[in-house]
Amino acid sequence: MTDWVYACAASDIDQEDLIRWDYHGKSYAIYNTERGFFATDGMCTHEAQHLEDGLVTGMVIECPLHQGRFDILTGKALSAPVCVDLQTYPVKVEAGRIYVKI
Amino acid sequence: MTSEYVATNAASSGISVDRKKLKSLGRRSDRPGLVWLAKWAVLMTAGVLAVHFTWGTPWAVLSMGFYAFVLTVPAYALSHETAHGTAFRTRWLNELMLWVSSFLYFGEPYHRRYAHTSHHTKTWHVGDDAQMPFDTPMTFGGWLSEQSGLLLFWYEGKIIVAHAFGIVGSEARRYTPEGEIRRLILGARLFLVGYVLVGAAIAAGQTWLLIYFVIPRVLGGPAMQFFTTIQHAELQENDPSIVKSTRSFAPSALNRFLYMNMNNHIEHHLYPQIPFYSLPDLHDVVKDQLPAPDPGLIRTNLELLGVVIRRSLGRNTKAPTIRQAPHMITSGGFEPIARASMR
Repeated sequence: MTDWVYACAASDIDQEDLIRWDYHGKSYAIYNTERGFFATDGMCTHEAQHLEDGLVTGMVIECPLHQGRFDILTGKALSAPVCVDLQTYPVKVEAGRIYVKI
Repeated sequence: MTSEYVATNAASSGISVDRKKLKSLGRRSDRPGLVWLAKWAVLMTAGVLAVHFTWGTPWAVLSMGFYAFVLTVPAYALSHETAHGTAFRTRWLNELMLWVSSFLYFGEPYHRRYAHTSHHTKTWHVGDDAQMPFDTPMTFGGWLSEQSGLLLFWYEGKIIVAHAFGIVGSEARRYTPEGEIRRLILGARLFLVGYVLVGAAIAAGQTWLLIYFVIPRVLGGPAMQFFTTIQHAELQENDPSIVKSTRSFAPSALNRFLYMNMNNHIEHHLYPQIPFYSLPDLHDVVKDQLPAPDPGLIRTNLELLGVVIRRSLGRNTKAPTIRQAPHMITSGGFEPIARASMR
């Protein structure tokens, strides 16, 4: 069963950036991009490195440790050393509040 | 991994930078890399012309030395920066330069990239870091073999040949995702064919490849080692702190250019996502949290040489100024810590 869970205020995330959001023992990354807000798993699929200090460029998140890149919209692994896609989650924004469906 | 997973980076080293500042330093652009390429092309052209017009005269020794230097050090530096994917914003340009520079450097690009991930995940950790090129503590014999630059050809050459024949060892499998093994093999086959073609062309009379590629690359090996050996020599193994395991130093403007600012080596390991052209700015931001850089290229290497000679003679190994881990400083005798992982 999935639920919409309040994660943060939209104003908490700078344009073209992300924040870390932890919920029920799992860590997520929530992005503010040119195409809106998105959410993925927080940990890189290559090694146990959180993406929170990663660089958002357009619709791409780059892992801060080895520079593997993912498509934020689809979670697709774009370039080595990442090979496994990121899990993505639906996001909605209501009255400046971001909800993630998990 | 042989030890608990804690990636070696700024967090594990107790270093922090304002998030907005870090983000601005990490911004990518093609322009600095293209400008760097243009300047490198000028230096390479000058080197080629110098060798061409002095060939057969005593001056050829000097011109070949210059050309070997400006060919090899930047080829290594560009291969490293593009392996990180940070040299250019445009991905295909980054990957193209990775292949070109890695061919000059003599390292198959896929393997180079994956082996280097382990060097960042567990910097200077015995058994985890696949890029520990010499035994520690370093002796004069170890320095001599490392400094020759020839061990690198042996190590990379073995990998290229083995991978080209589909033989991928357990060490490479440790740091390469299973799905990428086929790329290691493909890359090795392409490189092996490339180097065989170079050899065949030389055998067929294309001696310009010998003069402008093979000889300067071999001669440039020791020059390149002067930059790379001091990155971690005499520093702390098996420590989560990059500050303890890694050395920054302060070379001349020309050497900073040739080395793509990797003299800021602590800074690079703290924040590997920062491109080469922003490393000097990153240094300014974090310098109050770091030890002062060691001296210039020549002095740092001379001090290291003095240390390893004295270590081999059983004498005091305290260096005059360069940083050393406490266990590196003895009044005679030492306990071996690490066996080189690049053999």
